Amino acid sequence: MIKNIQVIFVFLTALAAFSCSDSQRKLPYLGNKQVGENGDTVFHTIRDFKFVNQDNDTITNEAYKDKIYISDFFFTSCPTICPVMKTQMLRVYEKFKDNPQVGILSHTIDPRHDSVQVLKAYRDRLGIKGNMWQFVTGEQDDIYEIAQKFYMVSAMEDSAAKEEGGFVHSGAFILTDKQRHVRGMYDGTKEEEVTKLIKDIQLLLSEQP
Amino acid sequence: MKKSLCVIFSGFLLASCGSSEEIKYEQYLVNGEQHYLKHCSNCHQADGSGLKDLYPPLAGSDFLNNKELVICLIRNGMSGEIKVNGKVYNQPMPGNKQLYELDIAELTTYIYTKWGNSKEITEVSSVKKTLGECKTKE
Repeated sequence: MIKNIQVIFVFLTALAAFSCSDSQRKLPYLGNKQVGENGDTVFHTIRDFKFVNQDNDTITNEAYKDKIYISDFFFTSCPTICPVMKTQMLRVYEKFKDNPQVGILSHTIDPRHDSVQVLKAYRDRLGIKGNMWQFVTGEQDDIYEIAQKFYMVSAMEDSAAKEEGGFVHSGAFILTDKQRHVRGMYDGTKEEEVTKLIKDIQLLLSEQP
Repeated sequence: MKKSLCVIFSGFLLASCGSSEEIKYEQYLVNGEQHYLKHCSNCHQADGSGLKDLYPPLAGSDFLNNKELVICLIRNGMSGEIKVNGKVYNQPMPGNKQLYELDIAELTTYIYTKWGNSKEITEVSSVKKTLGECKTKE
C-alpha cells in the first residue's frame, strides 16, 4: 500500500512538472504601468494611429482591432539591417499569413523616399499578398513619435550615419496584443530571437483566443 | 631506426602543409568569407540565394560570368535595373569604398570559389587593374 502511494506521488510530481512547461508561461506587459481611477493597473498602450499603406488606403488602429500584431521600423533603401529584418519577418509572415488574428505592420522611417509606389513595389518583390502584412508611410514626425514613445524603439534621421543610409533605427520587432499592449520586444536581425517571437505569438494566441 | 622514423615523420609533416600557394588560397577564402558575411550577406544571404525578387542571387547567377563587372560593383555599387538569370531586379547596391584591394581580392576569390566554379585566387594585381578600368565611378 505504501509502495502504491509512493508510485502515485511520483506520478503526480511528474504531472506537475509537465504542466509548468511552456504553455503556462505568461508574457509580461512592457512599458510604464499606471494605476487607474478604480485602482486597476493600466498598462502601456499604443495610441491611436492613422497611416497610408502601399495601396494608398488609410490604415488605422481599427485595422488591428482584435488582432495580435508585430511592428517594425525600416526603410527600403537601407543597406544594413533592414534586409535581415525582412528575411526574418518573412518567417513570421509564412507562419501566420492565414491566421486572421495575426497582423504585421512595417513603418517606413524615410517617408520622403518611400512613397506609396515605392512601398508597393518593395512589398510585391518580397512576395507579400493579402492584408496580413501592411507597409505604411505617413508624416515623418508622427512615425518617429509613435516609434519612440509608444513602441519604445529608436528611429531618427541622422546624416552622420552614412553607412547606415542616413537613418538610425532599431532592428526590433514589437509584439502587441489585442488591447494594443506591448508584450514582447525581439531583435529582428537574429534568427533565434525571431524563433522566440514565433513561439510567443502562439502563446499570446492561446491567452487571447 | 629511430632516426629514419624521425625523417619519415618529418617528411609527412612537410607534405601535409601543402604549398605556400595553397596556404594563400585558404587564407583568401577564410578572409573572403568574413568580408562576405560583413558586407554582402545581409542582402544576398549567407548561402548566396538572394532575397525573393528584391536582391538577386549569387549562387547560380549568370552575372558572375563577368568578373570585371562584379569587382567594379563591389567597389562602386550601382542603382537602377539589373538583369540576373533573365529576371529584372531594381534595388540600389551601396559601394564599398572602405575595402582595400586586398579585401576585394579575397572577397572575389571567396565568391567565385563558392558560386563561380573557380579554384583559383583572384590576385590583388588583377583587382587593381580592373578597378582602374571601371566604367561607372560614383
